[in-house]
Amino acid sequence: MTHLPYIAGAYGLTLGLAAWLSMAAMLRLSRARSRLRAVEQRGGRMGGRRP
Amino acid sequence: MTRKSRRLWLLVACGIGLGSASALALDAFSANIVFFVAPSQLLATPANGRTVRLGGMVVAGSLHEAHRSGEPVAQFQVTDGQKAVQVRYAGILPDLFREGQSVVALGELASDGTFAASEVLAKHDETYMPKEVAEALRKSGKWNPKFGPAPSAASWNRMSVKTDTTRGS
Amino acid sequence: MDAIRTLDATDPAGSSGPDRSQRRRVGLLHRFANPGRFLRLAARLQPWTNALALVLTGWGLIWGLFFAPADWQQGDAVRIMYVHVPAAWLASAGYVALAVCSVLSLVWRHPLADLAAAEIGPVGAAVTAVCLASGSLWGKPMWGAWWVWDARLTSVLVLFFLYVGHIALLRAFDEPQRGYRAGAILALVGAIDLPIIKFSVQWWNTLHQPDSITLTGAPTMSTSMLWPLLISALGFSFGFAAIVLARLRAAVMEQRLRVLLLSRGNAAAGAPS
Repeated sequence: MTHLPYIAGAYGLTLGLAAWLSMAAMLRLSRARSRLRAVEQRGGRMGGRRP
Repeated sequence: MTRKSRRLWLLVACGIGLGSASALALDAFSANIVFFVAPSQLLATPANGRTVRLGGMVVAGSLHEAHRSGEPVAQFQVTDGQKAVQVRYAGILPDLFREGQSVVALGELASDGTFAASEVLAKHDETYMPKEVAEALRKSGKWNPKFGPAPSAASWNRMSVKTDTTRGS
Repeated sequence: MDAIRTLDATDPAGSSGPDRSQRRRVGLLHRFANPGRFLRLAARLQPWTNALALVLTGWGLIWGLFFAPADWQQGDAVRIMYVHVPAAWLASAGYVALAVCSVLSLVWRHPLADLAAAEIGPVGAAVTAVCLASGSLWGKPMWGAWWVWDARLTSVLVLFFLYVGHIALLRAFDEPQRGYRAGAILALVGAIDLPIIKFSVQWWNTLHQPDSITLTGAPTMSTSMLWPLLISALGFSFGFAAIVLARLRAAVMEQRLRVLLLSRGNAAAGAPS
């Protein structure tokens, strides 16, 4: 493959950034979900009821 | 009129105002936004001693390369179809540089009419085609890359499918 | 209506009387203002966007990297196109989404639009950064320069700064609602950059080549390169949607969490309830 360093750089950067964004989003989502669940269970009478 | 539609119309009015202001500003400054000038523009208003970018196609058969004290020196003509300018450049040309390619050279027009370039960039066009297709077009005499851009993709796309399958790549 | 009030609780400035009465009448638009309904729908959508993003991006990029032909003059460097062009399209498309959210926020005061704009911004900035960096890695071996100040490159750099400015502006206010308002105005003013990016290669001469794929003409590209490019672009789009969706779900949950903790804190402090 000609220009391999440039191609590897472009693909590596793209996939690396995509992986980082996805992991960060997944972690944030699961943390938010578990914290919300914990708070809703602790005081169901306070507004944890679903609309 | 409800508050909501008042907000909507306010937004539309702002958009029209901002849009036309930007259009006028861009139109007024469009001479400064262009990245390069064509040879005929450069010769019509010779900016002696001022550094400009010259853009155009490298004339077929005009390229002469030599080595002077270890450094490559290239001479070639750049044309926009109307006028041509002789360019001198000491340094390594980009990989895509060839006769028939568009280039942009940074430099200044000397009083003898030659353009002394300090930097040469290759400007490729928006046509992308496999090597086999380019080879086949050249052999069949339908296109010579030295004399300008490739024919439209519709004329060779079927061909590319054929060569791809015979090559089995 | 309980759910809307949950979102409104953090939104004291944006919900005045007449709006609230209208809000009941606007059915379709505000249906997704209900965070519970949004979360249920988004949770069902998420596996599909994730799967399509992975499959299509993988398919398009592997095709582009290993099976598509090299260009006759650029050689294998043309393969950078399969990440650069989808990133460039998404950089603009993401900004369109940001602008739409801003209109929904400014005119209709849609509470979900504020959260969506805040989550689209960083992802759009990342995609624009990928576009700029991969373009630089493509430009050096082909043009002979990492960067030039031509109209196309400069207008995309401006787009990147608009995204970054939007992110910063949202966080510059103590009161989130004012940040959302300012961010929406910035996003709409910046939308003027989108047609400039699109037409820069036609209006002015640039080092960047004109578009190979246009709505009006036939593509000036071999079909053997066009297919992997389109598939990769579709995959990138689903990836963008999947990441924004996950972030937006998290943001809705975090907001709900804040409201719950706040009301509980008030109750615990002995406030009459």
